Amino acid sequence: MSPGAAPTASRRVPAPPPRGWARRAKRHRTVIAAFCTLVGVACITLLPFYWMFSSSLRTMENMFSIPIQWIPDPLNWQSYVLAWQAQDFTRYFLNSGFVAVAITLSNLLLCSLAGYSLTKFHFRGRGLMFILILSTMMLPLEVTMVPLFLIIKQLDWANSYQGLIVPFLVDGFGVFLMRQYMLSIPKDLIDSARIDGASELRIFWMIVLPLCKPALVALAVFTFREAWDMYIWPLIIITKDSLRTLPLGISLFMSSYGTSWDQLMAIAVLGTLPMILLFFFLQRAFIQGIAATGLKE
Amino acid sequence: MPVAPLPTQAPRPATAPAAPSAGRRRLRLSLSAKQAAFGIAILLPTLAVLAIFRFLPMIEAFYLSLTAYDLVHPPKFVGLANFVSLAQDPLFLKSARVSLTYVLFSVVPVLPLSLGLAVLFNRSLFIKNVLRSAVFMPVVMPAVVMAVVWTFMYQQDGVINTLLGWLGIDPIPWLRSSSSALWAVILIGIWRATPYYMVIFLAGLQAIPADYYDAAEIDGAGDWAKFWHITLPLLKPTTLLVIVMNVIVAMKVFAVPLIMTGGGPADSTRVLPLFIYQTAFEFFDMGRAAAMSVFLFVGVMLFSFIQVRMFTRGDEQR
Repeated sequence: MSPGAAPTASRRVPAPPPRGWARRAKRHRTVIAAFCTLVGVACITLLPFYWMFSSSLRTMENMFSIPIQWIPDPLNWQSYVLAWQAQDFTRYFLNSGFVAVAITLSNLLLCSLAGYSLTKFHFRGRGLMFILILSTMMLPLEVTMVPLFLIIKQLDWANSYQGLIVPFLVDGFGVFLMRQYMLSIPKDLIDSARIDGASELRIFWMIVLPLCKPALVALAVFTFREAWDMYIWPLIIITKDSLRTLPLGISLFMSSYGTSWDQLMAIAVLGTLPMILLFFFLQRAFIQGIAATGLKE
Repeated sequence: MPVAPLPTQAPRPATAPAAPSAGRRRLRLSLSAKQAAFGIAILLPTLAVLAIFRFLPMIEAFYLSLTAYDLVHPPKFVGLANFVSLAQDPLFLKSARVSLTYVLFSVVPVLPLSLGLAVLFNRSLFIKNVLRSAVFMPVVMPAVVMAVVWTFMYQQDGVINTLLGWLGIDPIPWLRSSSSALWAVILIGIWRATPYYMVIFLAGLQAIPADYYDAAEIDGAGDWAKFWHITLPLLKPTTLLVIVMNVIVAMKVFAVPLIMTGGGPADSTRVLPLFIYQTAFEFFDMGRAAAMSVFLFVGVMLFSFIQVRMFTRGDEQR
């Protein structure tokens, strides 16, 4: 493994000093140490994934066997079928998917509109609006959930898709992300489109949005992940089984079938799968969205 | 084409247009007014959603905190009674202490861990991309799934105690003992947060110009010297930001303790958001829950002010 890393490491030294071999040997050691550390860390980060998956296929008799059974034998595919049938997981999946997609789409539209407004138009109070929008990032749901619940109840939106979706149609961070990205779009581009007689909406749709594609993809992945993960809010406003989202279904399953670990792990695998797929297909965007939460400019 | 080239000829009208001639001025005013109206119009949906579902609840939380309200009878104004009784409630004080412990011990280790990983990844390495994806995976796991899987792993005969057994450590009753449950929850928090902030640190590291390191190398600086004198000082803003974000996220932890322990054993993992939830939706004491929310809000506020300042600092210079 180390020979693969060695050439790249030594290439970084522009001109080897007279006693280059000592230096190169030292570099070798640090590269190998770094590699081994990272492999160790990867084992820790992956262990729960492996354990979740392997346990979903382990039979209950072998679940806590001594010595521990690393590779399940015999394989117990039945756990997936049983778990899926124990509750209406098809429905929970569809609910979660629908809610997450709706929230993501609306965030894409509203955040980019707001970002466009905050960068390319001049009006009184624009700076204040931006500060206000940003400040919502410091209002975690955990602080506002009690009154928000009362508002939703007053609207008669408890146990409804609106109740799950509408409060999250737009998010302060998303606006921030789009605004930062749009700062780099030259104003001349927009002005020349105006001269050509394009309507404002058309400029936004045909020129600005396509230019923002990387930011939009990052925002979409980030928002979808957060929405798929959402737990406390559905827990508060949803009591009807037909409206439960997947996290609610999983935690309910945990409290009613708490010791059927094979089935619990099977459901856990299925609940993680969409995120894993998203990560593998849109890895760059996935990471960019998170890196953007660390933007400062 | 008498009108069309107008906007490009003169310096572009900002909010206050320069006025060369009366006729041009009227035309440009109406144009920029129209544009401003469009700009405001497309901002309105965002403002409306945030006003109704963020700011209104915030204001209402302050009002509710001054009332007694059980969802059945109308809210009754009680002044500061909720705050007074909270200050004397040992359960609340314990919950605040648990939250503080959680925040402190899940934030402090994450800093060196995530920065260290970022530094290790910020060089060429064999199968670097594979390793980086592997290390990033905890961020991908939904919080509820994480709670379920770790509950399983923390069982008395579970995989973690088995692994510890290999190291000669006696089994730990992770979630069953009030002395270890909070640490079990904190460990998961670290497991999840470290790769997240690693990504942010990595972005920060990649923004440091390579010239600095090359120059230092010519001067004969070693790896440590470069880290202390170049990397750390230049990463200061990123580090501050990571601390702030991490504190806010840690203050909000909810799903994991609720599912894994329900706040127990002996209230040892009842963090503040969990206590708020239980007070409001299990005991239906909305006023008291709102008072706790205000308390949590003040905590988040202290840190968020720093964050928003940092987010907007660039603008002041612009």
